[in-house]
Amino acid sequence: MTQTSSNLQVKILQLRANFIKQLPKRLLEVEECIKQAENSTNYDELIMGDLFRAFHSLKGASSSFGFDKLAEEAAIGEHLAQGLITTSAVMNANRSRVLADVIEQLNLEMEELKQVDLSFDRPYRSPSFEMGQINRGWQEQGAPLIYICDDETEQVVHLDYQLSCFGYRIQRFTDVESFEATVLKQAPDAVVMDVHFPQSSIAGTETLRRVNETLGRQLPAIVLSGQDSFAGRLSAFRAGCRSYFTKPARPLELAAALDDLLKNKHVEPLRILIVDDEPEVAQYHSLILEDAGMLVQQVHEPALALDVLRNFSPDLILIDVYMPECTGQELAGIIRMVPEYLGMPIVYLSSETDRKKQFSAMQVGVEGFITKPVVPSELVSAVALRAERMRTLRRLMTRDSLTGLFNHSSTKEIIESAVSQVGRTKENLIMVMLDLDYFKKVNDKHGHLAGDQVLVALSRVLKHRLRNTDVIGRYGGEEFAILLRKISIEQAYELIDTLREDFSKIIFSSGAEQFTCTFSAGLSSFAHYGSVEELIGAADVALYQAKKDGRNRVNVDRKSQ
Amino acid sequence: MKILVVDDDALAAEMVCAILESGNYQGIVAENVMEAFERLQQHPEIKMIISDMNMPLISGIEFFQELKKQHSTLPFILLTGDDPTTLLTLEPALTHCLTKDFALTETLPELVANVLGKN
Repeated sequence: MTQTSSNLQVKILQLRANFIKQLPKRLLEVEECIKQAENSTNYDELIMGDLFRAFHSLKGASSSFGFDKLAEEAAIGEHLAQGLITTSAVMNANRSRVLADVIEQLNLEMEELKQVDLSFDRPYRSPSFEMGQINRGWQEQGAPLIYICDDETEQVVHLDYQLSCFGYRIQRFTDVESFEATVLKQAPDAVVMDVHFPQSSIAGTETLRRVNETLGRQLPAIVLSGQDSFAGRLSAFRAGCRSYFTKPARPLELAAALDDLLKNKHVEPLRILIVDDEPEVAQYHSLILEDAGMLVQQVHEPALALDVLRNFSPDLILIDVYMPECTGQELAGIIRMVPEYLGMPIVYLSSETDRKKQFSAMQVGVEGFITKPVVPSELVSAVALRAERMRTLRRLMTRDSLTGLFNHSSTKEIIESAVSQVGRTKENLIMVMLDLDYFKKVNDKHGHLAGDQVLVALSRVLKHRLRNTDVIGRYGGEEFAILLRKISIEQAYELIDTLREDFSKIIFSSGAEQFTCTFSAGLSSFAHYGSVEELIGAADVALYQAKKDGRNRVNVDRKSQ
Repeated sequence: MKILVVDDDALAAEMVCAILESGNYQGIVAENVMEAFERLQQHPEIKMIISDMNMPLISGIEFFQELKKQHSTLPFILLTGDDPTTLLTLEPALTHCLTKDFALTETLPELVANVLGKN
């Protein structure tokens, strides 16, 4: 599905580029029609008809390709020509002037469009989230690309520096022209744009609006402004921005706003497991759910369900009640035997309308019944509702509310299960215990809000800079536990040490005061320890040593070195 | 499945075809109504017609009326740059009328699937 829609996008981009190439010719045709109309002293139905159609088709094509401004101008010409036809009127000086105006506007708009290179080297990204990209690369590869455009160099450099600490890839621009040219070659994930430029007081937002129009979609953008003016805000809103910051912008708040903007991209589709012994039926239900944007895995043999369950980790399981090898109730019971899956929503698909039988099935702990034959929309809503509720519940249970990281107990659980899985594969795991330095002083001196700011910033750095497969948890008040996978101890040391250095550069502010904060970390390698307790214990000892050695440093456990 | 696309603007026709192809339909292009009738004869397997409204000589709506006279039952979608409501009052028999705009990439496949589903 994604394949075809991205093909379509490529094609549309090409067509848009062709359209712009043909624009001069089209405009000449329109002008030719106007000339003819001006030259004929009597009303000429044919000529007027041509004029009307010329404007009309320009309007139609422009709006088909998303060039709304062109379409608006063409519509003015079309309207005028229509008026001439209905009244059988001839051209006069006044009408000529209006048409000349329209032509001038069209030409201006065309020149603008011609300057942008539409033959992009890549199509704009499809909004869907590609699965299988779980291994987000280190820093560079998966980090969101942010363009900052502001004519005050100092401000840009400062933001670049601070936002880079959080793991964003930043590209800076100090004039709107180079920004516009680059955006059209490679669209960023988000834009931070100043409003005021030498050209005009709203050149920044105007550029954004134009770029969005050319791209045919809305770039996520945040607007920065020197003064808090209504005109500035209005132009920002018109350019599709929903976030407006007055300078000096605090990098921490900008980072939070950027995260908000980019959040949706990383919403994972609901994961549904279908167990049905009839492949065709499973396929049918799977198609319905996939069409609604869910990620579906099918199992046709109940005996394989547990294995698939482990690897796929669905948000909900849909089970057919009547299966030869083992019934739906039996399978649900087996799944419920595994403590991890006690809370897993299970929904039966059955042609059972007998309430009593339904009730007995529910006693095994099944969330609901969907009766065959299913109505697609009902299936989707029944599944989505339960799966989403499961996600929310799971999130509430497993995440720390301030930072969004795993909380203490789930961190431990996840680390334990990762360790037990890895036991067989010999994959290396590195345990990192990380603790903020003198955090109590921050709280005492600057207040708890400032302290929270530090915790959130650190968690943001960790989330952005580590891979999705790494486990990151808030282990205690100011203590964080991280499990890094498939990495050597040397690489891990280097990585955490870079994070340490970058984090120490982030400037926090509380009222008028500014301060920085550091952390210490201890590392241990699973290769040298037999159990989770020993592994965490060793990292803890290394952390303690780092603190003793003066803090703001990373220390590797002696045995793991 | 083949769908006849009638539009005097080659780029616009190509755009519609691209949208159709992404939905696994095959678009067959005719530049005007005369050509459209030829294509219909050449390809009796055509299952639907998508036509632009404003074309020189014979308009989309006149094309539709001509088809009705010939007792064609092919589903017919009219594309227009204008407000569809005026066209619908002009020709109430016309059931499917879409505005040509950039949302066409979404509105058209939906309507095509819908119409074909009903027939």
